[in-house]
Amino acid sequence: MAKSGNEYRLLMPLIPALLVVPALAIAEFDSVDAAFLIVLAPLVAFPIILISGQLKNGEKAWKEGLKEGGTLALSALLVSLTTALWIIVDYLRGAREISEEVGERVATTWGDWISFDVLLSDYTMSSERVIGVGVWVDSVTLMLLFVATFLCFLICWFSLGYMNTDPINENRNHRFYAEFVLFAMGMFGMVLADNFLWLFIFWEIMGLCSYLLIGFYFWKESAAYAAKKAFLTTRVGDVFLMIGLLILYDIYGSLEFSVIFEDPSLNGSVDTDKLFWALLMLFVGAVGKSAQFPLHVWLPDAMEGPTPVSALIHAATMVNAGLYLVARMVPFVDVGHHGVAGLEDLGLIVAYIGGITAFMAASIAFVQNDIKKVLAYSTMSQLAYIFTGLGVSLWFYNHGNADAAALVFGGSMFHLFNHAMAKGMLFMASGSVIHEVHHAHDHLHHGSEHGHHDFDPQDMRNMGGLASKMPVTSAAMMIGSMSIIGIPLIGGFWSKEAIVAKTWKASLDYEPLMLGPAVLVLLTAGMTGFYMSRMWFMTFAGEPKSEVVDHVHEETPWIKEPLVILSVISALGGFGLSVLGVVKWLAKPYKDDIGIQKESVFDQVIYELEHAFLPEDPNLRIVGWTTIFLSLVVGPIIAARVHGGSLRAGQSSNPMVSWLVWISGRFGSQDMSEMADSSLSEALRHRLYFDHYYEKALGMTAIPLASFAAWFDRNVIDGIVKQVESSSVLGSVQIRRATTGRARDYIMMTAVGMISIFALAWGVSG
Amino acid sequence: MILTILALSPIAVGALLLVLPQILPSHAGDQVRTFSRNMCMGVSLGLFAISTWAAAHSLSDLDWMAIGFGSYELENTPVDLIPYIGVSWHVGADALSLPMIWLTSLVVPISMLVEWDAKRGHLFHPLLLVMEGAMIGVFVSLDLFVFYVFWELTLIPMFFLILMWGGADRRYAAMKFFIYTFTASVIMLIGILVMYFNTGTSISDRSFDLEVILASGSTMSEGLRHIVWMLLLVGFATKMPSVPVHTWLPDAHVQAPTAGSMILAGVMLKMGAYGFLRVAVTAFPGSTVVFTPLLVALGMASLVYGAWVCMGQTNLKRMVAYSSVSHMGLIFLGIATMQPLGIAGALFMMFAHGIISPLLFAVAGAFKHHYHTLEIGSMRGIAHHSPWLSGHMMLGWMASLGLPMMAGFVAEVAVLIAFWMTFGWLVLLPALTLIITAVYYLTSMQRTIFESNDPHNGLLPETLHGEPRDITWHENAGMAILGGLTILFGILPFFFWDMMSYWSSELIDTVLVAAMESEGVKP
Repeated sequence: MAKSGNEYRLLMPLIPALLVVPALAIAEFDSVDAAFLIVLAPLVAFPIILISGQLKNGEKAWKEGLKEGGTLALSALLVSLTTALWIIVDYLRGAREISEEVGERVATTWGDWISFDVLLSDYTMSSERVIGVGVWVDSVTLMLLFVATFLCFLICWFSLGYMNTDPINENRNHRFYAEFVLFAMGMFGMVLADNFLWLFIFWEIMGLCSYLLIGFYFWKESAAYAAKKAFLTTRVGDVFLMIGLLILYDIYGSLEFSVIFEDPSLNGSVDTDKLFWALLMLFVGAVGKSAQFPLHVWLPDAMEGPTPVSALIHAATMVNAGLYLVARMVPFVDVGHHGVAGLEDLGLIVAYIGGITAFMAASIAFVQNDIKKVLAYSTMSQLAYIFTGLGVSLWFYNHGNADAAALVFGGSMFHLFNHAMAKGMLFMASGSVIHEVHHAHDHLHHGSEHGHHDFDPQDMRNMGGLASKMPVTSAAMMIGSMSIIGIPLIGGFWSKEAIVAKTWKASLDYEPLMLGPAVLVLLTAGMTGFYMSRMWFMTFAGEPKSEVVDHVHEETPWIKEPLVILSVISALGGFGLSVLGVVKWLAKPYKDDIGIQKESVFDQVIYELEHAFLPEDPNLRIVGWTTIFLSLVVGPIIAARVHGGSLRAGQSSNPMVSWLVWISGRFGSQDMSEMADSSLSEALRHRLYFDHYYEKALGMTAIPLASFAAWFDRNVIDGIVKQVESSSVLGSVQIRRATTGRARDYIMMTAVGMISIFALAWGVSG
Repeated sequence: MILTILALSPIAVGALLLVLPQILPSHAGDQVRTFSRNMCMGVSLGLFAISTWAAAHSLSDLDWMAIGFGSYELENTPVDLIPYIGVSWHVGADALSLPMIWLTSLVVPISMLVEWDAKRGHLFHPLLLVMEGAMIGVFVSLDLFVFYVFWELTLIPMFFLILMWGGADRRYAAMKFFIYTFTASVIMLIGILVMYFNTGTSISDRSFDLEVILASGSTMSEGLRHIVWMLLLVGFATKMPSVPVHTWLPDAHVQAPTAGSMILAGVMLKMGAYGFLRVAVTAFPGSTVVFTPLLVALGMASLVYGAWVCMGQTNLKRMVAYSSVSHMGLIFLGIATMQPLGIAGALFMMFAHGIISPLLFAVAGAFKHHYHTLEIGSMRGIAHHSPWLSGHMMLGWMASLGLPMMAGFVAEVAVLIAFWMTFGWLVLLPALTLIITAVYYLTSMQRTIFESNDPHNGLLPETLHGEPRDITWHENAGMAILGGLTILFGILPFFFWDMMSYWSSELIDTVLVAAMESEGVKP
């Protein structure tokens, strides 16, 4: 394996990619007009990588020089990233004009896609309707665009190390990179789209790519099954999303954001029930894509794909799509700005789905032993937090409390950011662990087939004590986990706090029904503390649980850089961006007055700290401190008690994590096997039997119905045809007597036949 | 003149190439044989060039969106064929037929390419060429007698294609295909003749000319109009095919050679929908409006029931064939919406399905060709042996299940939007069927492209004698062109969408609105 230092020269193809944006800027291109590049670059890279990979497979220049397409993918993503940054900087500088009444948003339509007429109910044709193509940029778009482009770039970078050093992927990586960039394109396009139809189009492209990437190891039956499951489960959601679009089109006669958001209430004439159903259908789509209850079953199975794919799906792309869609529902319910009143139920439903999923996923994560599955359930649970927040925000907007709504909306979006950064990094770190453990295992059992197949490099029961072997990874994993747990001052704390507090505020001050989600998210905070700590302790602390661990080295190139970059962002980003007022900025499109920004940075710091730890409302103070107590103390301590332990004597760890190893040694370790055998934990291990019953239900309905349909078609419908046929054969035996074998008779009969047809027709026409 | 060339030259060249080797001295005959394949490809490419020229505004300066309903471009002065009964050679094209003509001239050369080394190619390729001429003849003729002659003429080459190059059960399939569709078209002929007899009071007044015969409805009583509409529907629905008169299709497809299936699914099925719109809807808008519930029922039955039947299939080609039935259901649904968007969606469905289904059949044919089986699940993990084939399969299957950025999606979403406007929550049925479609396509992919852990599953059959190679260059090229066009028209549908949308609006405006108003049907 080459050392990383020698490999950076392979980044040469990135240089032209870096020059694209400066060149466009010098040519006085408008940044928003260049937005098409964000989508175009990966779209063009896709066939290039795929086809040249297919043709050049195995050649040295392709394999080592271009990393089987990896560096091409990286350059395409770099073009997207730099263009996105250009737009963000432009926007922040205020170079774009404020074009709408509410907030700052920029819409550009590039052209018509399809145009048609509609026959109106007074039998006249409408003027030509158009579904166009364009971009829609506001702060939510920009945040997601940054998350997507930045993480895709880093994950692609990581893949250069992860994918290309694994011999099992040899000569197949071009497929991975091609599908990777297509996936990225789907997300970029979805975020930028200026109407619901194009949003849906890119949304489905992501579904396709998740299918292809989860099924990347096509020789594994489980991977093929997981891919199919992911596609079909999300497809169920997608179909409902599409129905939602149909209803929306019927209501507004357009799917463009700029048309719909102008006045969603249609001057008060909109049919509230119809709109409610439309939004509910959209939400079902979001539930499918973001793996929420009850369409969550695909996400854990999706771990069958290579680890970078998990990072891609869980942090950068796919699952954020559902959140984005729900975030786009705000104008419909924002009664302060032409929104439609009477849609509070929608917010409640969203919040409940979020609360239930958060709790359920966290509890299932308790018993997972596969390091990636823990992270998968954690994703589900954290996304559910964001859904809860968005639900509360929708409720507040609809209730007319725009200030609270904007804060929790911004908090939710900010949580999306924090979660994406942390989770992307956690998946890459887990990939690093898996990769090195796998590598060590191969090294150890080199040449001997024995024991090769029953060793699972993802099982945390084979790990332990890795803190001494993997200093960078263990530190990165620690910071990521802390951000997910919401340890005060770090990453996710700032946003999670806002969600929990506002959910409680809604339930205590306004709507008692909100108490359900409020309690659930509060409990989940503590549970998050437990399962994330459990994962860290099982992997990095304690004595090594298999001999393989001793042979692990952190040496694969390309892996460390993304971990370090994301660790810094996860650790400091939450606080830093909070101080810069990101929560209010994110809520900007839906709220014109974005509140006071303190005079100096110091004042702002004090304000944020006060706001987080000592809110004015005494109830919220209790809630806040309970959250902190549960997630900081209760969860991690129990985890340390159960799964902790010191490193083997004589081994040391990175000073950044040694304090945690020390804590783990102090508390560990208690025997919990009795609890592990309980029926509850059995049920949790079986993911609460959802998959089981879904499959059973399908097996009892769909499959017999399909077989019956096939039987019916063959034997009944075609059977009738055959009956007609055989009876006419019988008849023809009689007729055969008339067959004399002379041409004259045949001509005669044909003529008589034709004449009788004519006569019949003439007679009928009278 | 151009359309006459398009319709007649392939028939003439094809027939000549079929006949010449028989009548020439054997030496010269052999020379013609070796030459025949290239000749066929040359002619069909020439036709493709002509139809592309006609379709492209920038090349031919023909504006398909300015001619108005009932007028045609490239129209000839009618030439009397049988003046006694009013038959003439009258051809023309409009925004309804042009995409179909272009599609025909595209699918035929590609099917030739895919089966470039077919056995007895000196017969095979000329038959495809005759087929092309007959199909274009259906789309361009503006005289219903000639229309009917071409309509039946398409059966003959297809009959021989199935009979001579088909699978094990080809004799039964060919006979069934011929008799079934022939019977249906005789019923349709009765309808046409009734219309003919109503064009005038004496034989010298009567004419088969489209314009005259379409106007015949005005002299009929309402009951008779409904009867004739029904007769026409039987003929066209069988061709399309719609449940319950669809069972000839799976048999014909499974037995037909790859190129035959491609043309059958790609173009021949569209003749049904074309004829329905051109004759039945245009001549009897009142009956169409009255029988809208019937259209919805037929379309829904084809779509939903067809999808379920698909799911129960174990034969790859049968499954693909039933998926055609299912997709054709959307055409009736689109027409039944009585919205320009819905009808344009139906037209685009015809076009999109015309590109996608040949791809599906090319894949299924190549699968059979290389693995000697069509049973789903008997050969797994083809991604190993045939990466190109798996790639094309993935693309085709995804296109057919309605993935965005591929042609089929545009049609689907247009029909569904229009369907919601007219029928509301009934849209749940077709929409949920999209899930079923995804299920059967994905299941079949899982059992072919992906591998199984069960060693008894997915091994190469012993009859294959070692590793099969990936598909040949010509199969690959044919599939790649179809796949590329699927994506092209998915991303940039407006090339043909605009004229289809225009035609639909014109149809509604000039024909259907009046009927809807008089029948009291609200849009």
